[in-house]
Amino acid sequence: MKLYNVKLLTVTCEILAQKNVIDILAKHEITGYTSYEVEGNGARGLRGQGLKNEKNVKVEVIMQEEKLQSVVEEIARTLFTNFAIVLYVSDVGVLRTEKFV
Amino acid sequence: MDILELIQSNLLTPIVLFFLFGIIAARIKSDLKIPDAISEFLPIYLLAAIGLHGGIEMRNTGFETMFVPMIVAIGMSLLFTLNHYQILRRLGKFNLFDSYALASTYGAVGAVTFSVGLSFIKNQGVTSEGYLAAILAVLEPVAFILAIFLTNMAVSKQIKNKRKSLGKLEDSQSELDIGISETKSNLKQVLHESITGKAIVILLGSIIIGYVIGENGFESISIVFDELFTGAIVIFLIEMGIIAGQRLDDIKKVGGFLIAFSIIMPTFNGVIGVLVATGLGLSLGGSVMFGLLLASASFIAAPAVLRHAIPQAKPSLYITSALGITFPYNIIVLLPIMFMVSSIVHDAESIDLFNYISQGLI
Repeated sequence: MKLYNVKLLTVTCEILAQKNVIDILAKHEITGYTSYEVEGNGARGLRGQGLKNEKNVKVEVIMQEEKLQSVVEEIARTLFTNFAIVLYVSDVGVLRTEKFV
Repeated sequence: MDILELIQSNLLTPIVLFFLFGIIAARIKSDLKIPDAISEFLPIYLLAAIGLHGGIEMRNTGFETMFVPMIVAIGMSLLFTLNHYQILRRLGKFNLFDSYALASTYGAVGAVTFSVGLSFIKNQGVTSEGYLAAILAVLEPVAFILAIFLTNMAVSKQIKNKRKSLGKLEDSQSELDIGISETKSNLKQVLHESITGKAIVILLGSIIIGYVIGENGFESISIVFDELFTGAIVIFLIEMGIIAGQRLDDIKKVGGFLIAFSIIMPTFNGVIGVLVATGLGLSLGGSVMFGLLLASASFIAAPAVLRHAIPQAKPSLYITSALGITFPYNIIVLLPIMFMVSSIVHDAESIDLFNYISQGLI
């Protein structure tokens, strides 16, 4: 079967930044994403313990390369300074490219 | 009873002991932990119980008595928030964002502290007015809304000044207009979030249900919402102790000024609250709870609201000081102090009460 190349954007951030990330995605007309709670250690110390509001989440979004730049730019510009957040991009293959416009 | 004796006997209540136990468990790096689902459930349960009791008592006493104390509480909460800001900004040299975030954290109310307070006065054999639960609900968003509004206004003022210095100012919009328009969208969201937030929804919902069912309807559920109440607080406070214990190291980082602030401010606010409430004619226990509303700092609702509204502020400052310092101080030391103050002013009821209030204010 033929696999089509698209981009997978993964954002690991504090749970209170999740809404901001999803709002940015929505602004770029991306409505589909997957998120799950995670824990880990990083520049802002051990995260995921204690209060619910201090947990971390991982948000995964598949999108076409054209949209990727502006989404990443906006996340970096609006969220990097104030939130615990890491993002990275990887190449993935999908079968139904029309699902990820 | 002597104040030290009262603090001592308060120290030996299960609530405080389990809280301290939680801190110790965290310090020895035990993997003891209350499961997530339970620690999320307990605040909801506590608020439901507070609301039900409040609603039932309001059915007996009626609504009218509630309005004056409620308006006074809102006014004091706003005043205190402004006062905190000035102290933090001018004396503490915190930046604008941290100052407003901290000011509103301390101007807001703590529902967990409120539950502990209820259990404390019950232990002392006194009751409080039911409508305090309604004041708790109304007071929750007040300090945040003020702080968010003022932060946005200050930010737009800075932007305007910057533009002015660059000589690019053509619009004659006043800061106030910019502040209001920028705040509107932000505030709408915050208002919506805090009013539809689980704390206020469950609290208001249970007040209404309590009001509707009354004493008779409550009988069938009293085993859950009355007798289990203190026990549930105890379990929740293990978790609070663990979280506070994990943050003990951070306390050094918040600095001496904020440590002093997190002890002195609640004491000042709380004692004034007790005196004002006594002046308004609240009962001995009611005055303590009124004082506690003003003394407590928010640590569950605050991060959720402030991270969105004032993301520039460092959450480590306001969560650590509210949960790590003020909360233990309030439940261990300040509650007995306020109880003493309230007992003294209620004993001396024949003496002019306003004398006490004016003394307290000066």
